[in-house]
Amino acid sequence: MRSEVVIIGGGMTGVSIAYQLAKRGITDVILLEKRYLGSGSSFRCGTGIRASFTTEEHIVLQKHSIEMWKELSEELGFFYLRGGYLWLFRKEEQVNAFREFSKIHNKYGVPTRIIYPDEIKELAPTINTEGIIAALYDPLAGKADPFGAVLSHAQACKKMGVKIYTQTEAKKIDVRNGKVIGVDTTAGYIETNKVVIAAGYGSRDIAKTAGVDLPLENVPHHALVTEKFKEVFKPLVIDWTSSAYIVQTYAGNILMGIDIEEQPNIPLTQRIDFIPTVVKVMVKLFPWLRYVNVLRYWSGYYVMSPDRHPILGPVDEVEGLYVAAGYSGHGYMMGPIVGRLIAEWIIDGKPSLPQAERLTLRRIKEGKLIYEKAVVG
Amino acid sequence: MGEKMKKGHPIFVCRCENVTLEDIEKAIEEGYTDLESLKRKLRIGMGPCQGRTCLPIVIRILARKLKKRPEELLIPPSRPPITPIPIEVFLASGGEEDEE
Repeated sequence: MRSEVVIIGGGMTGVSIAYQLAKRGITDVILLEKRYLGSGSSFRCGTGIRASFTTEEHIVLQKHSIEMWKELSEELGFFYLRGGYLWLFRKEEQVNAFREFSKIHNKYGVPTRIIYPDEIKELAPTINTEGIIAALYDPLAGKADPFGAVLSHAQACKKMGVKIYTQTEAKKIDVRNGKVIGVDTTAGYIETNKVVIAAGYGSRDIAKTAGVDLPLENVPHHALVTEKFKEVFKPLVIDWTSSAYIVQTYAGNILMGIDIEEQPNIPLTQRIDFIPTVVKVMVKLFPWLRYVNVLRYWSGYYVMSPDRHPILGPVDEVEGLYVAAGYSGHGYMMGPIVGRLIAEWIIDGKPSLPQAERLTLRRIKEGKLIYEKAVVG
Repeated sequence: MGEKMKKGHPIFVCRCENVTLEDIEKAIEEGYTDLESLKRKLRIGMGPCQGRTCLPIVIRILARKLKKRPEELLIPPSRPPITPIPIEVFLASGGEEDEE
């Protein structure tokens, strides 16, 4: 087999890169997925999409991603809604910190603002604001259907000629004289000069075969959904004090998560203590939840980088090798813009957003870390 | 399944999410040829029954289409709880201490 580009990983990032490449005319692409599409973090995510981060790099990339989410949802036909995000605060110091973050958001065109209980109640009817003194409202944020997003990208890719191999694992990236020459897979050898690694924590192992060390940690997170309801509230609501979040998904289920103590790099295990921990916070906010049934509980990983920003773009040591991993919990929402940026790196040699150039692996080697403070759930 | 029955009225396979035999056959033809992908494409098994009613039927439909034995198909894992449980029940049990 031969291919112009091989993408390793069939999550939101992988299918987005394939789609953006194909739309720019590069259709001689093979995408490898070791299980089924979306089976890593994408189909386990909280479905939220926001630009209210705390660094220029994250905010600018995400603002572009949000514009793309809207276009893509219309182009490919999947659910996307700008229902907003509400970050709830119980202490004055939280409000002060987010008032400063809001200034950064506004500087880069994300219209967040501090609001008070009356407006919180209007945006999230049935919420109990007892103990809540204020919130950050991000009207640009929203949510999308991860299944529809990943699967519709993949179908569109196939129609344009991209080959998608599921249940196919990349075993080794073949490098000669500092250049990529191929990928060995469980379905045979593929000759190629360009490989994109977009395999979540698995990126680490496959990058190692090319002599590249990716400093990633795999941290388990947990989520549950209730039975379905007609629309109750539009925004994704975050209780910043406990790091818990709640959102009504595209299908109508109420999805919630909370940060509980976890060890990195361990297999996913069921933590039944997660359920009482999260529902105790959420029943205070939405008292009617008490009478609602829990349908399903699952876990997934946040693939953490040292500074909570993804590692994107080309790798200095190996010509033709690109990385897109380590989103630290935000890979799904960044999928569209990362697809476009990696396609630009491959086709134009550089990305259209200068902020992306600061997110290559080089920053970590040179110690130029850019810390993100707003990681939730 | 006979053509007459299909034309007469929809045959529901997943009663929680209103997925018909026709929906499933169409999705398989579109390339959704594993249970995990069919589940996400159609939401089969994601309702209150969690697949206990529909999944065995979907397994048979898919196995027949792919000319495989049912036991050759990869089965999606079951997620806890086994049956829907009211949140109220969890309020009475353990978990980490509240932050406040």
